[in-house]
Amino acid sequence: MDVKLPKLGEGADSGVVVNIFVKEGDTVANGQPIIELENEKAVASIPSTAAGKVEKIFVKNGDRISIGQRLIAVAGEGQPAAASAPAPKAAATKKPAKPAQEPEAEEVEEDAPEEEGEVVNPSPVASPSIRRMARELEIDLRQIRGSEAGGRIVIADVRNYIKRLMAAAARAGRGKGAAPAKSAAEQINFAQWGPVVKRPLTPLREVISRRMLESWTSVVRVTQFDEADCSRLNELRKQFGAAYEAKGAKLTLTPLILKAVAITLKKYPIFNASLDEVANEIVVKEYFHLGIAVDTDQGLMVPVIRDVDRKSILDLARELEQLAAKARDRKISAEEMKGGTFTISNQGAIGGGHFTPVVNKPEVAILGLGRGAMKPVVRGDKIEARMMTPLALSYDHRVIDGGSAARFMVDLVAALQEFKEGDVKI
Amino acid sequence: MGEIKFFMDPIKTEIVVVGAGPGGYAAAFYAADLGKKVVLIERDKVLGGVCLNRGCIPSKALLYATHQIVNARESAHRGIAFAEPKVELEKLRHWKNSILAKLTGGVSTLAKMRGVQVIPGRGYFEGSQKLRVETDQGQQFIEYDKAILAVGSLPAMPKAFDLGNPRVMTSTEALEVPDVPESLLVVGGGYIGMELGFVYAALGSKVVVVEALENILAGADQDLARPVVANAKKTFKEIRLKAKVSKMTTAGNQIKVAMEYNGQKLEELYDRVLVAVGRVPNGADLGLENTKIQLDERGFVKTNEQRLTDDPNIYAIGDIAGGILLAHKAHKEARIAVEAICGGKAGFDSVIPAVVFTDPELAWCGLTETEAKEKGVPYEVAKFPWTASGRALSFDRTDGVTKIIADPDTNRVLGVGICGAGAGELIAEAVLAIEMGATVEDIAETIHAHPTLSETVMEAADAFYGHATHIFTRKKEEPAKA
Repeated sequence: MDVKLPKLGEGADSGVVVNIFVKEGDTVANGQPIIELENEKAVASIPSTAAGKVEKIFVKNGDRISIGQRLIAVAGEGQPAAASAPAPKAAATKKPAKPAQEPEAEEVEEDAPEEEGEVVNPSPVASPSIRRMARELEIDLRQIRGSEAGGRIVIADVRNYIKRLMAAAARAGRGKGAAPAKSAAEQINFAQWGPVVKRPLTPLREVISRRMLESWTSVVRVTQFDEADCSRLNELRKQFGAAYEAKGAKLTLTPLILKAVAITLKKYPIFNASLDEVANEIVVKEYFHLGIAVDTDQGLMVPVIRDVDRKSILDLARELEQLAAKARDRKISAEEMKGGTFTISNQGAIGGGHFTPVVNKPEVAILGLGRGAMKPVVRGDKIEARMMTPLALSYDHRVIDGGSAARFMVDLVAALQEFKEGDVKI
Repeated sequence: MGEIKFFMDPIKTEIVVVGAGPGGYAAAFYAADLGKKVVLIERDKVLGGVCLNRGCIPSKALLYATHQIVNARESAHRGIAFAEPKVELEKLRHWKNSILAKLTGGVSTLAKMRGVQVIPGRGYFEGSQKLRVETDQGQQFIEYDKAILAVGSLPAMPKAFDLGNPRVMTSTEALEVPDVPESLLVVGGGYIGMELGFVYAALGSKVVVVEALENILAGADQDLARPVVANAKKTFKEIRLKAKVSKMTTAGNQIKVAMEYNGQKLEELYDRVLVAVGRVPNGADLGLENTKIQLDERGFVKTNEQRLTDDPNIYAIGDIAGGILLAHKAHKEARIAVEAICGGKAGFDSVIPAVVFTDPELAWCGLTETEAKEKGVPYEVAKFPWTASGRALSFDRTDGVTKIIADPDTNRVLGVGICGAGAGELIAEAVLAIEMGATVEDIAETIHAHPTLSETVMEAADAFYGHATHIFTRKKEEPAKA
């Protein structure tokens, strides 16, 4: 039986094979990883759905494959148990009884998305109205799999197909958006001035590039700067560091910042919103899932920590560590990078001052933190050396006004400076 | 308005339709409905073409009228006997013609109401966008954007049979029922020969049908044709298969016919002969050589899926465009051509039902079993004999069968054939089923009214799964149902 690429998660319908763990002749167990697939911002290992001997491998490194595509053929013990019940063929295929058709339906679902332009249904069946619509829209019905009994193509199938075409067109369009500039500018031979190394864009870099451009061209970004006195936070960190370590967690500033941001977001829900440009609505989210920009060898990844407002600092510290590790090892799933409501980009560990972060669309705001440094600060009537951390809040001015941003910043600084000890204590 | 001016100036129009049969008038009307300026040319005095005047409608009228003779006769064994019928041909012709008058008049009225300008006359293409019409009053030129050629076909009359003797008829003359010949030879066992054979047999003629092929109604699956053949054998004097008529000569008030049959050379005398060996396209004397239109080897106009000919300004629909020569095919093509002209993207992809109005009727659509075998298409068949239909029994016509041809894997309905009284009406459900991509189960799951013949379609579907209620089908391989 063939092992096919299963559904990967919403929105992810293809990927590039980066690793093949098995070779022909190997024996695989059900659930054993057989290939590694890079897609969007993750590398995922794909488990076998059958057990037995690998008869054939249909993919190779570098192949872009999509859901439903055959990966390997497995023979042997892996045969489905059903085969042991020798039902006569005629009876099996002709059974009108619904149960008999269920497995078939599942199969259809599994390998639903087709590559555009590919004939998947050489003799398509559809009602006259669907055929007429297909003609009008110049859709080749042979490229659509019918979901109904007998393989009939219904309106929903056509709709899904069009959606896929639109998504593909949008992807291509983004490439083309950059294309005129590219074609206008001549390709430059940099090697004429000295040695160069050429590297193809990785899928991850492509995604980053696309999303950055998307944000840059659609979000009206303004960045609000300030500094927070993080001396107290640092003290709290030192004070409880050992206790956290005892529990196997490392207390850094980030979980404290997460908490302070969540508290401030609750006061200013508009920073936790999105602009629905289709419905012309502002969608205010009542959950607080914060994305953390993680610097990896391959590039930027943004895993999301869910329900920050409801989690303890200890939980946040642990989760943060795990997610960052997963991101660096590229073991993070696409799902774990979705659903964020606000992003934090902390460069403190690396260094640097204020910078202007790019809003992580569809979110409307992002907080960038620079490296905290001891600075002379006037407190009361004395000059004191305090640990000052640069803060930069970028926001989408279409949704958020400057006044709100200033207020948000003031309250965020206060939340950081007056962090409750009780929240850290364990 | 000045009549002279009318004929001097060429008419400028968006669409000209040449031929006002069921394809042509449908095209003209639809184009007018879509807001086009349309001129419709018809060489006959009346609109409606062969279908209304010399084909579908008059033949059905005669079949209905004469079938009453059979009905009355067969009624006796049910305890209701009638006296021998008295046939008044004049009255029969008049009644039939009154139907034609109603229909053709209706078409004229509809043309008028839509603002379609009808010009009686013969159309002749002067070029790709110019038509000359020879009318009773003289020549009229028409300059158009697009033309739709819908000039139809006429009965074939091989030279060897064309004696110039009215006793050798085509369907056109036979439908006039000039008399009831004592003996009638029907050359050609296709649907036209068989239908008219039944008309004349009911009127009392001794009908002999000769067919060159191995079967009558060759397009149909022979298991479906069987009830028709059985009744024809009873009703006609004789059916001769693999028989070849070689010569006809006038012999006084009769026609002497020479044929080869069963390895023998026969010479027989018939009062009349009906030549029904097919139809040929009306492609001559149209000036098609002045256009870019290309013809196939049989003289039909070549068209694409939208019925556009090789001339970018001329479409062709109906019989002249070849394929199956049926009015409903022409009608669909009319729609497609007009839509194409109006910028639409229509194309012909429809199932065309075929109905033979013999006694009993025979109708089919989609894939036939014969075709499936020829093309190597995998299929499975389920049949329901009408002997098991309460409705068929209640009107004493159990000589029928309903047959479904389906895809063994998907169980999708690929074809349906029905033989029996009213099969022509019943086939509509099957056409819809195929158009909708229905599975056999879809039909089986649909409630069909009782007691009706439509139940036979449902029961054939049930039989496909081995559990039709009113017949017992033991499925060898199928294990007992759990």
